[in-house]
Amino acid sequence: MRFPGLVENELLKFAKQRRFRVVVLILVALIGLIVFAQSRARERFQEKDWRVETQERMARIQNWLRDGRMPASSRRWARFELGRLQYHLERDMDPEAVSGPLFARGFANASSYLLLPLLAIVFASDVVSAEFQQGTIKLLLTRPVGRARVLASKLVAQSLAITLTVVFGGIVAYLFGGLAYGWVGWDAPILTGFRVGGDVFDPSTVRAVPLWQDTILVYGLAWFATLCVGAIALLTSVLLRSTAASMGTMLAALIAGTILPRLASQWEAQKFLFVTNLPLPDYYSGSPPPIPGLTVDLGAAVLAAWAAAAVLAAFIVFIRRDVLA
Amino acid sequence: MASAEIVLSAENLTKRFGDREAVSDVSFDVRAGEVFGFLGPNGAGKTTTIRMLVGLARPDRGSVRIRGLDVARHFTQAMAHVGAIVESPDLYRYLTGRENLEHFARMLPAGAGGRIDELGAMVALSERLDDKVSTYSLGMRQRLGIAQALLGEPDVLILDEPANGLDPAGIREIRQLVRRLAAERGIGVFISSHLLSEIEQTCDRVAIIHRGRTLAAGSVRELSARSASDRVRVRARPAARAAETLSAFGAVETTTPFASLVDDGVGDGDGPADGVVTARIPPDRVPEALRALLSQGIEVFTVERPSSTLEEVFLEITGGETV
Repeated sequence: MRFPGLVENELLKFAKQRRFRVVVLILVALIGLIVFAQSRARERFQEKDWRVETQERMARIQNWLRDGRMPASSRRWARFELGRLQYHLERDMDPEAVSGPLFARGFANASSYLLLPLLAIVFASDVVSAEFQQGTIKLLLTRPVGRARVLASKLVAQSLAITLTVVFGGIVAYLFGGLAYGWVGWDAPILTGFRVGGDVFDPSTVRAVPLWQDTILVYGLAWFATLCVGAIALLTSVLLRSTAASMGTMLAALIAGTILPRLASQWEAQKFLFVTNLPLPDYYSGSPPPIPGLTVDLGAAVLAAWAAAAVLAAFIVFIRRDVLA
Repeated sequence: MASAEIVLSAENLTKRFGDREAVSDVSFDVRAGEVFGFLGPNGAGKTTTIRMLVGLARPDRGSVRIRGLDVARHFTQAMAHVGAIVESPDLYRYLTGRENLEHFARMLPAGAGGRIDELGAMVALSERLDDKVSTYSLGMRQRLGIAQALLGEPDVLILDEPANGLDPAGIREIRQLVRRLAAERGIGVFISSHLLSEIEQTCDRVAIIHRGRTLAAGSVRELSARSASDRVRVRARPAARAAETLSAFGAVETTTPFASLVDDGVGDGDGPADGVVTARIPPDRVPEALRALLSQGIEVFTVERPSSTLEEVFLEITGGETV
């Protein structure tokens, strides 16, 4: 029906404001800077030829395997490592070096805490409050379209903009990474699925997947976390009706999310806060979680619950509240 | 005109903010083809009433019907018949005039994209339609706001203080446009204003709102007649003696030498003795007063009961509070 037209309206507002261009610039500048800084640091450690080193390591592993006294789990790991080194050697790639694809994947991990949520907040904080601040809310809500549909179109448009931003970030990361570290290596084997249950390392869930598959998963998680942040920022935008106040509130929450686990990791209940669950890609990739008991599944569930509650509250308030501003 | 369909009707609208009643029991009807004025000082409850008319605020009591459709219950159907500017013509400043119109056309059930150029011409914005609204003057934004309001071919047009911030030429333009819309398209126009002169010149009927209550409603003429009360204007010679005589029947307000008024060819050359006396004489004592004037040999040229301006009506009704 008319709903696509409403979404088109909202996308038009995103596109015509300076905001969108600023976000694009931030992404390009930041990724460019990271790549530049990393490649400068790396140049210093090129002493020995990595090909010789890699061949030596492969020989060592083959010796271990022939030995036959290894436990099964280590055997699995050794075979994987052998395959991985073989893959890189065949393609003339340094197995310990960053490749373009690897950098692109790493960007999702690094940006899901702060950068992507920040950009989501830049979009979503404005979505409703700007209409109040410009006075256009009076026109928007006196047209023959129900308030629920107006807000739904805004939510859809905002989610599209966030999706576009995550995809764009990935593409820029690959472009810069590719320029600096080479374009190939998408199907390099990668170990994934680590689970840290308590203090015991459980290798049974670990499996080798090609890098491209892992990258898609990691970006999916970062995208999901960012969408959830956007949904929560929509609520603050509806409640506070001021872009600055909404952005400030969400920023404070994000910063609290990066500080809390470091300063007070014993307080376990914080794993039910949305901000502590933003690094979903990290929890998936197997870095030890900052708070005991955090897993990808729990994190995703907590984020989804927060987002659902925020969206529900935003709709109720938006539909019921008088517009008097 | 009295038989025309009622397109907008408010019934006992009441809105409380805390324990203060901003609007109390406001009722009125607007018919197709008429311009209805909603007059009141700033803070009287005009904008709050308008917000309830267009569904931005929920009345605590009472209802609004647009072409018979209850705004609270059938919001989208009712709004399809309404175009409105609430408070100020706020449009998206970072979009062009055309983009703004396209934006709001997409929110209409029928879509109205094809009428944008026509409407742009109607409000004299054709030349500037592709410029950003941020470069518009207030008058241009007001006109763009009206074009937006007309996109859906409404039966009801609601304009909140359309003269605000406009120069006299701009006000005249809007007034002519409004009269034309009512006359040619049969739109029922609801205009709020704190400017008496504007309402008087633009509207067919008026409701006066003060401290949230409607104090009087009726045609501009009816209302003026209502407060005409006991004022009588007598042109006589000699004016000074006439004033003296009339003071026995009621308070004399002014005595003006006729030379300072319009020269209509009567009694010219007779100088300052000829003048107009305004006095407050109850209607039933007027014949007696006239007899007294004539019996003293005072010449009486005209006797009239002037209809007062809305301003006087307003002052009277609100007890002297200025608009």
